[in-house]
Amino acid sequence: MMTMTQMETTVHYDNGYDEYQYMNQEDEWDRDNLLDPAWEQQQRKTFTAWCNSHLRKAGTQIENIEEDFRNGLKLMLLLEVISGERLPKPDRGKMRFHKIANVNKALEYITSKGVKLVSIGAEEIVDGNVKMTLGMIWTIILRFAIQDINVEETSAKEGLLLWCQRKTAPYRNVNVQNFHVSWKDGLAFCALIHRHRPDLLDYSKLNKDDPLGNLNLAFDIAEKHLDIPKMLDAEDIINTPKPDERAIMTYMSCFYHAFAGAEQAETAANRICKVLGVNQENEKMMEEYERLASELLEWIRRTTPWLENRTPEKTMAEMQQKLEDFRDYRRQHKPPKVQEKCQLEINFNTLQTKLRISNRPAFMPSEGKMVSDIASAWQGLDQAEKGYEEWLLTEIRRLERLDHLAEKFRQKATNHENWASGKELILSQKDYETATLMEIKALLRKHEAFESDLAAHQDRVEQIAAIAQELNELDYHDVAAVNQRCQSICDLWDRLGTLTQKRREALERTDKLLETIDQLFIEFAKRLAPFNNWMEGAMEDLQDMFIVHTIEEVQSLIAAHEQFKATLPEADAERQALLGIHNEVQKISQSYGIKANIVNPYSTLTTEDLIEKWDKVKKLVPQRDGALHEEMARQHANERLRRQFAAQANLIGPWIQIRMEEIGRCSLEIGGTLEDQMTQLKQCEHVIVAYKPNVDKLEGDHQLIQESLVFDNKHTNYTMEHIRVGWELLLTTVARTINEIETQILTRDAKGISQQQMKEFRSSFNHFDRKKNGAMETDDFRACLISMGYDLGEVEFARIMILVDPNGTGNVSFQSFIDFMTRETADTDTADQVVASFRILATDKPYILMEELRRELPPEQAEYCIMRMPPYAVSGAPPGALDYTAFSTALYGESDL
Amino acid sequence: MSSNYSVTLLGPAPWGFRLQGGKDFSMPLTISRLTDGGKAAKGGIGIGDMVLSIDGIATEGMNHLEAQNKIKSCSGNLSLKLQ
Repeated sequence: MMTMTQMETTVHYDNGYDEYQYMNQEDEWDRDNLLDPAWEQQQRKTFTAWCNSHLRKAGTQIENIEEDFRNGLKLMLLLEVISGERLPKPDRGKMRFHKIANVNKALEYITSKGVKLVSIGAEEIVDGNVKMTLGMIWTIILRFAIQDINVEETSAKEGLLLWCQRKTAPYRNVNVQNFHVSWKDGLAFCALIHRHRPDLLDYSKLNKDDPLGNLNLAFDIAEKHLDIPKMLDAEDIINTPKPDERAIMTYMSCFYHAFAGAEQAETAANRICKVLGVNQENEKMMEEYERLASELLEWIRRTTPWLENRTPEKTMAEMQQKLEDFRDYRRQHKPPKVQEKCQLEINFNTLQTKLRISNRPAFMPSEGKMVSDIASAWQGLDQAEKGYEEWLLTEIRRLERLDHLAEKFRQKATNHENWASGKELILSQKDYETATLMEIKALLRKHEAFESDLAAHQDRVEQIAAIAQELNELDYHDVAAVNQRCQSICDLWDRLGTLTQKRREALERTDKLLETIDQLFIEFAKRLAPFNNWMEGAMEDLQDMFIVHTIEEVQSLIAAHEQFKATLPEADAERQALLGIHNEVQKISQSYGIKANIVNPYSTLTTEDLIEKWDKVKKLVPQRDGALHEEMARQHANERLRRQFAAQANLIGPWIQIRMEEIGRCSLEIGGTLEDQMTQLKQCEHVIVAYKPNVDKLEGDHQLIQESLVFDNKHTNYTMEHIRVGWELLLTTVARTINEIETQILTRDAKGISQQQMKEFRSSFNHFDRKKNGAMETDDFRACLISMGYDLGEVEFARIMILVDPNGTGNVSFQSFIDFMTRETADTDTADQVVASFRILATDKPYILMEELRRELPPEQAEYCIMRMPPYAVSGAPPGALDYTAFSTALYGESDL
Repeated sequence: MSSNYSVTLLGPAPWGFRLQGGKDFSMPLTISRLTDGGKAAKGGIGIGDMVLSIDGIATEGMNHLEAQNKIKSCSGNLSLKLQ
């Protein structure tokens, strides 16, 4: 556009007109173009045709342009037709001034339309000035046909040119640059026609080189079909080097008005169509809105009750299904509705905007379908939704809680029922009737444990009841069953409580009774034991095998027995008491129905034992009486025996003693010969032997005593044993002493010990016999030897001891002493003497032969030697040689090796 | 507590001691005399010592003659156990 305008501005017309100056062109017009008669001619034709095209609407025409406008009437008419406005009434006179007046009216009108008319007067027109008239017509054409042309903000001439250019732009061989030569080949005209009415000509068949044809064709079609009378002459245009601009402009303005008008009409029709279309659209939109709104509202109306439905379901599954449905609704059903609503709103807004833009009144939806209605209905829906969702969740929670509670209830109830099952039966047991005290205690403890267990369960029962209560409050669907179960649990609970109490009482009662019985048993046992002991003791005592030896003993036994008999009544009382205890126990257990086997655990003794023993005791008492008296008699008898024995023993004992002393004295005596001693002793012996019968008699008495089992005898210190031993000792002593004397005599004779020596030996012996018991002890002997001048070392003394006391008795007898003394004073060694004797028999040989022994010794002794003598085992000795040296030394127990 | 000891005297006899005692004398077999410088004395035998065994054979129950013969029968060395 801009370029076109620019182009416009640079176009210079050959006639020197400037684009912006044609409003003032009266000035230039004055100077130039009418000099060209061709133009005048053209203009005349064209302007005439143009005026006629308008005047025919008023039913008139002009033939001659400078003549027919002279009176001004057709001029005024023309103006009226062109403008559509009424001019002032023309003067109907024929006079010049009438004509001038009319023409002035016309000119005034033209001026009133903003046209400066310079140097055009009414008189020139009335006078028929062609130049003026054409100029005036041109002014009119300019003003009324061209001035208002407005194409793309380019107006009037430029606008018209622009319009022509625009419309012919698609046609390559048309180049409209001006209103003269561009039109000479006629293609422009055709193009213009073809542009608007392609049906009127076939542009492709047109030829640039046939301008005449083209022009005529265009003029013809325009006249025929476009109602544009021919205003131009084809030949004129061809022949004129530069056709008249104004003529062409005038003709083109008709085209413009025809087409633009058509376009306007089209535009108008379009506008109308558009408006109508908009209207229709709007209406449709309104309808659509209404419809959608209705639907939406209907949907809301349907949906809202569903959302407001608060009918609870029984189970959680059902509720969850509802929730699921709700979710579906939210996820699937509502969104499209949201979208619908949104769409509705959009539509509404769009509609309102469109209406506003197209200057229509705003859309008022029908009653109840207003935006506010929809909004409030939608709000209602939202709230219902929220409320519904809340309700659903609450319900679900509630049902969940209920389910949970119901389950809790079930579990607890089941647990409790399990615990409680069988308890009634157990509590109703009458096991305590046959229980022992220990068992009762155990039962009591068990019961205690049960009681605390029960107490512990109290809580649970309460919990169960609480849950049931809550289920009731929360309106659980199966609350009836719950209540029933709860009730039965509570009932059972009460019963258990009662039974527990009853059982406790029964157990405690039984316990007390059994305790009492137990106490009685304890007492019984406590008393029975010592009593039993007493009885046992008594029985023992009564049966006691007494061994008494004195009358006093028997007497004391009898006394004791009497004492014992005195205690019998007391014992009997105790017995009664014990039996009494037993009876009481029986009474208690009978009267309280204790069916247990009541046995006294504290005592192995029964009342039967008690009774039995007592009877025994009773029996034994007189028995003992008898026994004791018997014994008494016996004791008396024994006493008699004792005295008898004692009398005798007391005689014999001393007699023996005297004899012993006699003998002792005798043996120790130094005065008198051994033979004298012997005689004395023999006499003594005789006496003793004669006394024997006394001893025998005593033995007899003793036997009696022994047979009577008397073992003591206070009447004498002598026992039979004493007497016996003493007697035997006496006998042996006398015999020994006699023997000693005999031996001494032998020794004296053998050793040649004189009487004097004997006396000396005897006095030494007696001196060192410190103890005066007829023997020297080791120390005594040692002292003796020392006194005799023997200076002995221990070894030598030991040797000597061995000799004198070979048996190691520690005592040296008088005989041994004499032997030792005589041996020591002897000259020769008896072993050597024997050896010497054998040597003589062996004729100085160191060995002896068997035949020599047999020859020299008596046969018995010879054989004895032969048997005993070891062989003489030295080289050079003949066989059968016997070692008499070894034999001899062996005889004396001393061998030199 | 007297202790036992063993002695082995190198032969031949005489050994240089006097033996006393025996079952028949109701006396234990003892050494009653030692020859000065004799084999027994040199061997450490003491006067009064009892002969418990001769050549390993216990003297318990032996009479004097038996003991004498036993000692005499030892040609070569004489082993004694004494106390």
